[in-house]
Amino acid sequence: MLFRTLAKAEFRKLVELLLAANEVVGPKRVGTNVRGEPLHQFLPVSAFDELALDYANTEFPPKTYFLPYREDLCSYRFGDDDWTQDIRYQVHPRVIVGMHACDINGLVKLDKVFTRDTFPSPYYLSRRKNTLIIGIDHLPGPKCFCRSVGADLVERGFDLFLSDLDTRYFVAIGSDRGFGLLQRVDAKAITDEDRADYLALRHRIADAFETHVDVQNLPSLLDIEFESKLWKKWGDKCLSCGACAMVCPTCYCYGVHERVSIDFRCGAKVKQLHSCNLLDFAMVAGNHNFRPTRESRLKYRYYHQHRGFVEAYDEPNCVGCNRCGHACLVGINPPDVIADLQAEERR
Amino acid sequence: MKYLRIEPRRPKVGIFDFTSCEGCELQLVNHEESLADFLACVEIVNFREASAARDDTYDIALVEGSISRADEVERLKSIRAKAKTLVAFGSCACFGGVNRLKNACDLVAANREVYGAHPKETLPVRAVKEIVPVDLEIPGCPVNKPEVERIVQHLMMDLPFQLPVYPVCVECKQRFTTCLYERGELCLGAISRAGCDAPCPAGGLGCWGCRGPALDANVEAFRSMVRERGFSQRELDERMSFFGGFEVRS
Amino acid sequence: MTRILHGVDITRGASFRGVVDFNQRYRLQHVDRNFKSTITTIVPLTDMEKLFQLRIDDDAERATFGFLPGQFVMLEVPGYGEVPISISSSPSNKAYIELCIRRAGTVTNLLHRARPGAKVGLRGPFGTHFPTGQMKGHDVLLIAGGLGLAPLRAPIFDITENRAAYGRVHILYGTKDPSQLLFDYQYETWRRVGGVELSIAVEHADADWKGEVGLITHLLDRLTLDADDTFAIVCGPPVMFKHVCSRLSARGVPMDRMFVSLERRMHCGMGKCYRCNVGHTSTCIDGPVFDYWSVMNLKESI
Repeated sequence: MLFRTLAKAEFRKLVELLLAANEVVGPKRVGTNVRGEPLHQFLPVSAFDELALDYANTEFPPKTYFLPYREDLCSYRFGDDDWTQDIRYQVHPRVIVGMHACDINGLVKLDKVFTRDTFPSPYYLSRRKNTLIIGIDHLPGPKCFCRSVGADLVERGFDLFLSDLDTRYFVAIGSDRGFGLLQRVDAKAITDEDRADYLALRHRIADAFETHVDVQNLPSLLDIEFESKLWKKWGDKCLSCGACAMVCPTCYCYGVHERVSIDFRCGAKVKQLHSCNLLDFAMVAGNHNFRPTRESRLKYRYYHQHRGFVEAYDEPNCVGCNRCGHACLVGINPPDVIADLQAEERR
Repeated sequence: MKYLRIEPRRPKVGIFDFTSCEGCELQLVNHEESLADFLACVEIVNFREASAARDDTYDIALVEGSISRADEVERLKSIRAKAKTLVAFGSCACFGGVNRLKNACDLVAANREVYGAHPKETLPVRAVKEIVPVDLEIPGCPVNKPEVERIVQHLMMDLPFQLPVYPVCVECKQRFTTCLYERGELCLGAISRAGCDAPCPAGGLGCWGCRGPALDANVEAFRSMVRERGFSQRELDERMSFFGGFEVRS
Repeated sequence: MTRILHGVDITRGASFRGVVDFNQRYRLQHVDRNFKSTITTIVPLTDMEKLFQLRIDDDAERATFGFLPGQFVMLEVPGYGEVPISISSSPSNKAYIELCIRRAGTVTNLLHRARPGAKVGLRGPFGTHFPTGQMKGHDVLLIAGGLGLAPLRAPIFDITENRAAYGRVHILYGTKDPSQLLFDYQYETWRRVGGVELSIAVEHADADWKGEVGLITHLLDRLTLDADDTFAIVCGPPVMFKHVCSRLSARGVPMDRMFVSLERRMHCGMGKCYRCNVGHTSTCIDGPVFDYWSVMNLKESI
């Protein structure tokens, strides 16, 4: 990978160059919570100063710019008893500034599902290929555990990635597009001092993690503890509201339904993100439910992320952002659930 | 159109109001851009609010309101006898609605409070299904017109319709609404049936559960969560009783 | 903010590859596009099931559409929904495909009222298949319970059309009662033209029933089989294939020579929506046909 440094004023100039010709999305402050902490969301910005690059985490993951909660897969026009199908992939060039490493790694995982398998998704690819990503490092919050799941560092999936060295940014270049972008501003070759400062920052970040989760043995542990009583304990707490999957940067399960206009002239096939915790996730016609209990559904979210996904892609489908733990009203969070599983193993 | 070469029905629909604000009926003539098409799908034979037509034969009876008087009970039974499909239309018809709050009071005192020296004959409020069998429930205060349109389309094709079974949280998240609990406010979204597209939380008002409970809602865990967040039992019970959709232990 | 006149448009310029437009790429399109098909014939089978013959309208699309026995299609009624249905016709039949459909939800209820000439959409074929190639030269045992005969009909066609390539072929079929028997008009053809042995049992007989009464496992227990040389395909409800497969296993048939077809809710057919996930995998990509050893290792598959 190639590296440069960028003075902070030059980075501002870079964003302003992008703002002048593109839709730019970034972390924006949208208010404060009951404890007075700021709330952030990835939203379109119109000026550099609207970006809150020092944000801790956003309420919603940036995945929604690639996998929208709802999207029409195709539209239909009806005439008598015939119809025509029309498919349009959305081409909407966009820049996202300020994605954290965990969220970029979330995209890299989604890439594996939506761009590499037998059936690459043109819907996803259209958005992915037309989005320029500028990521940024941050000091982990008390609940971040991205380091435990190997998502604290990014090697791909972005165009530029910034690390804040106080006076300047250390910039990793992830694509020729990113390289070309840096040529428009005064980016400097890195010096020994830059390298030393950057490595010091990496250590500072690594040492700042307070939450650690051991996921190494999870695939086999989840098989062994499949019938464990502790799933009922967590299942009894679970509201089956699906909030965890909605705010997850990697959960991608969805449902498809269709609609017809009331004049029966046009219709659409609609994709809507779903959650394995919702009651009807595995319900079939005639109301048979393959997973009728809360505990079986809750268990499957963990089983997919740390067993099924590992089977398919050799890594868990979790990036350690703990958005799910934060969004869960009853406090179900991966560090606690996984620690509980591991305590069960040692009993 | 003759979709799949099936001749869709143009069902005769009668709309009947009982104890209610008639706001759900008003929703039927809402959504102006598709109103003409909606009316082309059904033949409205009885709709006091919008039409003078009167016909006592109908396939579908949309029943709005809760049942709170003896004469309403009789009228409902005669509608049931004539309708092939009886739809409880709106939260009052489905659960008793706001009117049901009356049941917690001394009925005589309530009557005196409202009507003074001219008391009216009244019964404890009941939902439609507590008196006659109901074929389909469309909850909501008011009902959601796009959902009503979808249901009518299903009825025209004689197809079963399934309301969303999951809670409002899904729809809230999908429109990027900050969780009301994040702002320290009470919300019933996690146990209430979705399908409304969560307009209240998006407008800053916690969910009041007008569509009743989500299927298999975890009310017990929800109650302890609310208690732990410092809301009183009374506050929660009041909220859950408001539309009559939840069982509230008193 | 100072107004910058010449910004960097990410869709232009030397290092920028321009807008990447997938609308122009046919290969990617066909996974989402459905083949418009006409329902040519509808054969009533029972109160609950009908057999639909579908012909893909476009000649080129029809010519390229091919499948292997055990694979499924997503059948779409535009505006109402899409359902996964396993293909019941012969893989060698290029003229039309047949789908046996039980009336259960919105889409299948609509289809049951549709009339010939109606236009529906097809996507696929998807999923894994029964390894009929690998079975050649061996005895084959096909066991179906209830609607399980529908996915078995494709391999039955495949085997009877290439009858000489296989050893002894047995079909065991069981339903709750005689009114639920599917494809009863074909039994004689399978026996006399196809050269297979077909045994049928119902759990509850009616006044006219002259055949066997009992569970399918009774038919199986009576059967002499060469365990070292037999491949089995078992389709039916999980409780049925579990009992059948454990009996076969006890009689020495290796678990990787028994194949079952799993049924789950599917929304995409392409391993994306994950609604059909079972254990650590998804039914649409790694299934629906699994060997029994794999099924034993999938959590909650039985």
